Amino acid sequence: MSNPFDEKSTGLTISNLEILPGKRVKSHLGVVQGSTVRAKHAGKDILAGLKNIVGGELKGYTELLQEAREEATERMVQQAKSVGANAILNVRYTTTSITMGAAEILAYGTAVILE
Amino acid sequence: MSWVDYLDWIVFLTLLAVGYFAGRAAESRHFASIRKREKELAKVLAFATKYPPAAHLPQQVRLVSGSAVVGSDYFKQFVASLRTLIGGRMKSYESLLDRARREAILRMKEEARRHGYRLVVNVKIESSNITGGNRGGLPAVEAFAYGTALKPVAPAEPDRAV
Amino acid sequence: MRFENRAPEETVNYADEHPLKEFALLVVGVLGAVALGAALLGFFAGELAGRVPFATEREYAASLTERFEQAKLTPAQRDARDALRALAAKLAAAMPLPPDIAVSVHYADEPTVNAMATLGGNLVFYRGLLHKLESEEAVAMVLAHEIAHVRLRHPAAAMGRGVAVGLVLSAVSVGAGRSLGGDAVQRAAVLPLLKYSRDQERDADELALGALVRVYGHAGGATDAFTVLSQAAKGEAGRVAILQTHPLTGERIGLLQAAARQNGWPVDGMRTPLPPALRSAAAGK
Repeated sequence: MSNPFDEKSTGLTISNLEILPGKRVKSHLGVVQGSTVRAKHAGKDILAGLKNIVGGELKGYTELLQEAREEATERMVQQAKSVGANAILNVRYTTTSITMGAAEILAYGTAVILE
Repeated sequence: MSWVDYLDWIVFLTLLAVGYFAGRAAESRHFASIRKREKELAKVLAFATKYPPAAHLPQQVRLVSGSAVVGSDYFKQFVASLRTLIGGRMKSYESLLDRARREAILRMKEEARRHGYRLVVNVKIESSNITGGNRGGLPAVEAFAYGTALKPVAPAEPDRAV
Repeated sequence: MRFENRAPEETVNYADEHPLKEFALLVVGVLGAVALGAALLGFFAGELAGRVPFATEREYAASLTERFEQAKLTPAQRDARDALRALAAKLAAAMPLPPDIAVSVHYADEPTVNAMATLGGNLVFYRGLLHKLESEEAVAMVLAHEIAHVRLRHPAAAMGRGVAVGLVLSAVSVGAGRSLGGDAVQRAAVLPLLKYSRDQERDADELALGALVRVYGHAGGATDAFTVLSQAAKGEAGRVAILQTHPLTGERIGLLQAAARQNGWPVDGMRTPLPPALRSAAAGK
């Protein structure tokens, strides 16, 4: 998976700004979104359970969520490319826990064509 | 052997003591590291405002983000669990959330600096409970910070970004 | 326009106080309140249950001892049971038992080293305990202790307390769930119940001692019985007194001796050998 945040590898600009400085939007193409639902890993959960005695960062979970956000972003980028956009503006992320031990990561934004 | 009769008490009190000492040590270490890195990264500016300075100049942009999942220790869990019975300010988890948020912002700034940016605008922070409530789940909080990093397109004067 | 990041005050978003302070406040406040509530509730429920007519209690308890009534006893076991019943009748008369309260003694051919009193005046004496007791006085002390429980309506009071505190606890645990705090609340609520249980044992000991002395003229059998029970529990070294349902044996024997001295009763005396029916049952014949 190439890094979806990297403009050079995707050819697409992503930002959570509504207007990019010095750029003009030629056309708005609608909302694009990418989402992924992840369940926590049983093995990581046992380790995290042990870690919960002494406290501190649960690195396994940090990485898991980071991967999930990258994947959600990647999917959003795919949607944007499919409508012919070269940028996604006003990007937002949300996290919802669906059931115990599973979470949905959603990324969405407006697909646009910049001049 | 009568100590076996008290095994549950022994386990509980041991976990409580281990949680207290280890958790407190981990927390003060984490805060110390956060303060140190906040000083180091003071040059990377972050704002929650939407409109960047010099909004009219073309800029290079990149979405940068950082996140941290911080778990509670056994002592904090016990105190918090008693606290939920009567309500009120849950002091034992406040510092946990503070650590997670500041760590997330730091990681976002680190990512920005790694790619040569010194300014992040429109910073959003969200905190979530990734384990779906406290019933049987692990008491851990996640903070996620993201924003748009900006630098002028003209590569000759990177220091004038601000 | 200037753009800079100033470091804001840190301890605005979390309390800059020692974590043990909140811990101490919560443990004393919440758990103390739970223990106090359970103590009060237990007290009233116990009082109330003790006022239920004995006949009602007996009706309710009819099903509890079916197992012992329907057990097929050998002739020797039947003899032992009858000997225990005769001894119980003598002790009940010496206690004395009020006319509306009656005891039914059951003999259980099981290795448990124990005897118990349950609802409806039902006493169960186990072969395991009989096997360890060496004098009639010791057997009499155990019986008298259990009869005293019945006389003082202890099984009803204990059940009333258990039910009342249990109901409130389960209501609380709907809110708290199976969490660390919920467990702590359970433990805190059980402590006063244990205290009531130990008080019951002390009261029963004292009442039993009086009956024993009135029948045998001395308190010698009393301590024998508790020593046997304590050995069956494999010693009590290292036990935490407030977590027990019964007072520790050393304390019980001390209290009994003190009570005997206070009343001018002989602390020790000649032991009567076990009646033949009990001796052969104890030997497992």
